[in-house]
Amino acid sequence: MSHFWKPVRKGAVATVFLGAMSAQAVALETVVIDLVNEPSSLDPHVQWNPDSYAVYRNIFDNLLTRDDDGEIIPQVATAWEYLSDTEIAFTIRTDITFHDGTPLTAEDVAFSVERITDPDFGSPQLGQFNQITAAEVTGDDTVVLTTARPYPALLAQLVKLSIVPAEHVQEVGDDAFNAAPLGSGPYVFDAWQRGVQVTLTRNDDYWGDAGPFERAEFRAVPDAATRVANLQSGASNLIVTIDPDMAMQLDMAAGVSPRSALTERVGFLRLNGAREELEDLRMRQAIAHAIDKELIVEGLLAGFDRPVDQMLSPAHFGWIDGIEGLPYDPDTARALIEEIGEDAQRPMVFATAPVFDQRIVQALQQMLSEVGLNVSIELSDMSSYLSRVQSDPEDAPHMNFGRWSCACQDADGVLHPLLHSSSSWSTLNDPEFDAPLEAARETLDEDERLDAYRAVHERVIAEVPLVPLYQAAILYGVDDRLEWTPTPNESMFLNRMGWSD
Amino acid sequence: MTSFLVRRTGQAALALFGVCTLIFFLTRLTGDPVLLMAPEGATRADIEALRTALGFDRPLIVQYWEYLNGLMRFDFGQSIVQRVPVMDIIVSRLPYTLGLAAAALVVALGLGVPMGVYMAVHRARPLARVLMGVVLAGQSLPTFWSGILLISLFAVTLGWLPSSGAREVTSVIMPAIALGLLSMATFARVARSAVLDELSKPYVRAARAKGLSTGRVVRRHVLRNGSIPVISVSALEIANLLAGAVIVETVFAWPGLGLLTVQAIQARDFPIVEAVVLLSAVVSIGLNLIADILYSVVDPRITLDGAAR
Amino acid sequence: MSVRAAMRRRNWWIAPHLWPFVAILLGFAAMALLAPWLAPADPTSQNLLGRLRPPGEEVRGFTYLLGSDELGRDLLSRLIFGAQVSLSVAILSVLISGLAGTALGMIAAYFRGWTDTVIMRVVDIFLSVPPILLAIITVAVLGPGLWNVIIVLALTRWPRYARVAYGQTLAVMNMPFVRIARFSGASAGRILAVHVLPNIIGPLMVIVTLEFGLMVLFEAGLSFLGLGVQPPTPSWGAMLSTGRNYVASAWWIAAFPGLCLFLLVLAVNVIGDDLRDRYDRRGTERSKA
Repeated sequence: MSHFWKPVRKGAVATVFLGAMSAQAVALETVVIDLVNEPSSLDPHVQWNPDSYAVYRNIFDNLLTRDDDGEIIPQVATAWEYLSDTEIAFTIRTDITFHDGTPLTAEDVAFSVERITDPDFGSPQLGQFNQITAAEVTGDDTVVLTTARPYPALLAQLVKLSIVPAEHVQEVGDDAFNAAPLGSGPYVFDAWQRGVQVTLTRNDDYWGDAGPFERAEFRAVPDAATRVANLQSGASNLIVTIDPDMAMQLDMAAGVSPRSALTERVGFLRLNGAREELEDLRMRQAIAHAIDKELIVEGLLAGFDRPVDQMLSPAHFGWIDGIEGLPYDPDTARALIEEIGEDAQRPMVFATAPVFDQRIVQALQQMLSEVGLNVSIELSDMSSYLSRVQSDPEDAPHMNFGRWSCACQDADGVLHPLLHSSSSWSTLNDPEFDAPLEAARETLDEDERLDAYRAVHERVIAEVPLVPLYQAAILYGVDDRLEWTPTPNESMFLNRMGWSD
Repeated sequence: MTSFLVRRTGQAALALFGVCTLIFFLTRLTGDPVLLMAPEGATRADIEALRTALGFDRPLIVQYWEYLNGLMRFDFGQSIVQRVPVMDIIVSRLPYTLGLAAAALVVALGLGVPMGVYMAVHRARPLARVLMGVVLAGQSLPTFWSGILLISLFAVTLGWLPSSGAREVTSVIMPAIALGLLSMATFARVARSAVLDELSKPYVRAARAKGLSTGRVVRRHVLRNGSIPVISVSALEIANLLAGAVIVETVFAWPGLGLLTVQAIQARDFPIVEAVVLLSAVVSIGLNLIADILYSVVDPRITLDGAAR
Repeated sequence: MSVRAAMRRRNWWIAPHLWPFVAILLGFAAMALLAPWLAPADPTSQNLLGRLRPPGEEVRGFTYLLGSDELGRDLLSRLIFGAQVSLSVAILSVLISGLAGTALGMIAAYFRGWTDTVIMRVVDIFLSVPPILLAIITVAVLGPGLWNVIIVLALTRWPRYARVAYGQTLAVMNMPFVRIARFSGASAGRILAVHVLPNIIGPLMVIVTLEFGLMVLFEAGLSFLGLGVQPPTPSWGAMLSTGRNYVASAWWIAAFPGLCLFLLVLAVNVIGDDLRDRYDRRGTERSKA
């Protein structure tokens, strides 16, 4: 069987087909990357989704960036200094030029901040930056950002701030800029064949290392099985979003392999204590005891992911070693359920969406059924799922599966939205959660913050508003000739990739 | 006659208006794109701010009025998610949809008609029955399955065809086959009964009596006369091919309108959904209108009967 | 009378070449009805340590005759229970859309005038809305579930029956026996049910069989788009759409439900095709007479 499916690498039969032949000829100059959807927009300030992000981050430079180990390092800003708890001064590189040749200045940085924080502009990313109240150019190469309060996650958020050319944007307008984005990054926007692909070409005048590819093509391939076939047939060099079973399949195929990184994304099961069926703490504890995280990770996720006992990953600030959650113990779970009696048998709804791994959702449901609970899965499309999960706690589903990443590697971006009473993601209204979450948000003192988060983690274990499951791995399918290491923040920088020969 | 035309056209316009209204309100029942666009962890205030910026906080009736106003000026608005005029997006996708439908039609006609003719001419041979089975089998496979089987075989194992996308001309072959197999049966059937009808006509018997071979009669006369029903069915089948392409386009990453519609609905990008539905409504209601008018010309009884009441 | 009875008997006689296909249908129907007794295991019971096992392999004393799926469930049991879901979705959606569409089409053709205009324009409107849009709206508004899949299918398909019933009724309305019935003062309901329906049921039955096959495929398509029946409920469409991700590593997951689906639709199509031939022939005979 296996030899039948063994892929013929490109070129073997290509002589007959011109298309395949040209694919081989350009192979090493062009890297082809299969995303799920096409970018919604390449203006870095008007959307927030992974497919757009993968592309535009190669066209633009960001104020700061992270290295492959996840440390925050300079990019457009070479240095930064806190002037006070709410003011921070950035020194801007002077040797960067945009793709049209104009130099990148401190004005462009200030403009980018003002643009993304302007409520009338309507950036979906507004919430990530609206703690910034002012951006002021104070010298030739200095910008001072002022925040409303001390804001510990500021640097982590600025990693996501792409710098756009102020004059150009004002001159051509937002719509034209959106159609033909112009940045200062290692790759230049070349063409966008709607629905098919975005093509970038290398910026040979880049101030840093621009990488080995002359061209890069980002294609939209919605069906995962098709992406795998693309990789195996040599039509693409890198594919995103595959599941562990597909990864195993790639492992057996010739010339390609799966690559993974543990990310800052955490899988969890949210329990809605505002619904009467889950009001009883013992119910929520029983659920936590019923779940065998090890089995999910080893049995279903092929060991790529890692079970966690706190609602964070070690990649986050706020992770505390040695915290232990409620252990897998089906007998205790059954005992608790028996103690509750008939009320434990009431039907409950488990909401999920097609983007999540349905195997995990079904496995969780099975584990809950095995200890005697009555849970039914409700699968709806992503938009309906989001509005159900974020509706009033009394109407929200009893439980839902989620995979959370704030793309900021800071506990504030995870625990505050999931647990604070003011958040639409939280079904809680508990001062014991609110107080430490607020305290940790408003100080720059790392020890104080860690103490506050420890309190939050412990409260999560005591109250069980959610069950942390695992630190998610991100899986890619990669052409063996491509040298590249996936990173925890799920970024895809072309200038950090290369060919192995 | 004129009053019928006027009335029938008026009804078609009313139906179009109905489609626009229905779609506008139905899509709004499914929420708005704001939650999908906001990053994880956006606060209620952030979400409300985005909702205001995109205009979804205004009363529905105001939004509806604005939509109708735009329509009057043939302005279909801007994609909410992509921030590009809807017209540009549709214009860039339309050629792919038409191209795939045309290629699928070629597959369906090219396979279906010869099989149908064979089945009619050699009705008694066992092969005819086998062919009918093959034709019906083509209609019995879910395209998302046959699609991936085609890709596994022709792209991965044999490496003959590009696995997906629309970069080369050869890219259209596999999606066209997956889509065309569904319509093949229709054509085979129509061709078969058309040829059977022709074969039973006196002129064929006369020609045969004169000593012409069956093959010659079929080639000379039957095929030409039998092609009329096939052509008229093609017109209807094109509509089916256009509508049935959603899954094929998803599997083969073919950038047609079907895939666009699914993604726009899932993203709650209403202006795109509205424009695509309006386009398909104009086509389907328009075709119906034309068909009705033609019928009334051909068979005046039908309309006179209706008008009398 | 006796000639007609003989003709009817001949018409309903199942030709020998159809026997295997009728047998397939009966077999699947039996599978669906007897599922709890036939299935060797619970179709939703998982074993994460026995995932993706090939046919015939034994895990902890249980033999997976057709292999196990991505969650270690017995594929054979899921296939047997899947027959229930796939068949009932198809039967119910055909029944609902068929009844509603036929009734509306007949009413439009009988009353003409405004009733006709309104109903047939609504038909136009429904035909121009993409089915997937209706599916997502239904799920968003009503929530997901087996019944909502049936509603989606019924909503998208009734216009087909309405169109055919409309055209056929128009033709029948001009026939003498209907005119006589109308002049003698019979009620609309009586005329439609007693005089019109029996005369248009033939072409409608042809549509029904073709639609039945289509509904099985549509249900599968909805599953592929994530809008089908709810997991872990087994349906052939849902099993096939997960299984296609394992075409290279665990072929059996897609192959068996795919084969069942194929056989079911094929059987229905072959029988429908035969039915169509018969009515066509009768149609030509009548027009010659």
